[in-house]
Amino acid sequence: MSIFNFFRAAARPSAVQAKERLQIVMAHERAGRTGPDYLPMLQQELLSVIAKYIDIDQNKVEVKLDRGGDCSTLELNIELPSRDAVKAPKDPGKPAAKPGDAKPVGGSANGKAGDKDDEDEDDSSEPVKLAAGGNALTNGGIKKRR
Amino acid sequence: MGKIIVMTSGKGGVGKTTSSAAFATGLALRGFKTVVIDFDVGLRNLDLVMGCERRVVFDFINVINGEAKLSQALIKDKRIENLYILPTSQTRDKDALTKEGVEKVLNELTKEFDYVLCDSPAGIERGALMSLYFADHAIIVTNPEVSSVRDSDRILGVLNSRSRRAEQGLEPVTQQLLLTRYDPERVERGEMLKVDDVLEILAIPLLGVIPESQAVLRASNVGMPVILDEASNAGQAYTDSVSRFLGEDVEHRFVTPQKKGLFSRLLRRTA
Ligand SMILES: Nc1ncnc2c1ncn2[C@@H]1O[C@H](COP(=O)(O)OP(=O)(O)OP(=O)(O)O)[C@@H](O)[C@H]1O
Ligand SMILES: [Mg+2]
Repeated sequence: MSIFNFFRAAARPSAVQAKERLQIVMAHERAGRTGPDYLPMLQQELLSVIAKYIDIDQNKVEVKLDRGGDCSTLELNIELPSRDAVKAPKDPGKPAAKPGDAKPVGGSANGKAGDKDDEDEDDSSEPVKLAAGGNALTNGGIKKRR
Repeated sequence: MGKIIVMTSGKGGVGKTTSSAAFATGLALRGFKTVVIDFDVGLRNLDLVMGCERRVVFDFINVINGEAKLSQALIKDKRIENLYILPTSQTRDKDALTKEGVEKVLNELTKEFDYVLCDSPAGIERGALMSLYFADHAIIVTNPEVSSVRDSDRILGVLNSRSRRAEQGLEPVTQQLLLTRYDPERVERGEMLKVDDVLEILAIPLLGVIPESQAVLRASNVGMPVILDEASNAGQAYTDSVSRFLGEDVEHRFVTPQKKGLFSRLLRRTA
């Protein structure tokens, strides 16, 4: 028995995967038939909110949508510019980023919403946190329950 | 008033024309005066599958444009009483199918025929839309394969929103599934979607399961609808499907692998 046969036997039958994939994609397509999908708009508004604080380079924004069975994930990966590009927050009561606070954010591999472990608690008013090098990738996730 | 049936699928090459030829022939064999129309303007093929390609003089588009009378364009089948073919144009394109033109021809046909069967082209463009617009019944031809199932669902959505019945708020177009090119052995090996999987996803009643069969190619080679090959499993499956369409309760065959007979099993053991 070759190693390929071994993997094949261990994997689920392809027909089972076909059914699952169809059920998921079609549930979304049927939903889309009755009303406009709000995800593109949500994505745009999110980006404009972020743009209020950071000069984001549109080419360095990666938007991924993963349509799942019970929930979909909208994942925004935004490469932050160097620190001086951070705009002062509109609210004067909230302090801007200080060098000492620099800390990586959202370091998890896939950064889905719910990966709250590495979220900062005491500095929640701070608009943006930067990694030590001045550049960081934030991973934001929004889940849409069906 | 005759009923209008559309054989549709969204996806191309799944067996609409094969099924249209078989169904029209089956309905005529059951005594219903039937005409089958090729809506695949520019890609005429129903004539070949029905074996009347050498008798085409005028076509559907000529009739729509008033260049020929309907009676001149209709081709009477040589084998079967009650069966007629309305071929399409090989040179025009689908823009020739105006809603008014199609309606006029269909109105004339439903006065004379019990069943008017429309063989839809692939896609969801003009040709496909025109073939389903006036339908009373839709037969959704689907292969047990992801892209075909998804496209069938798209077509169901179109039927429910853009057919005449939908637009005018009439009784919806009835919809039945014809699952073709089914290979029970691959299903058993877990390599192909099961009938039940497809039914669960599309959620429409099952009209029939047509097995993958070499008889289909043999039949089209000679211009004979496969339903006339009574010895073939595909032919028998189409005959059963026609009976179900007419409201009869017929058990589904050819959905499980053919049991090896005792004889062949004994042979195997001694071999
Ligand atoms: N049950 C079957 N078993 C084996 N081959 C089949 C079967 N049904 C159809 N075929 C083959 O599949 C091919 C496509 O069939 P057909 O022309 O009927 O499809 P179609 O849906 O009308 O295609 P199009 O979308 O181009 O109009 C043909 O070669 C035909 O012989
Ligand atoms: Mg065809």
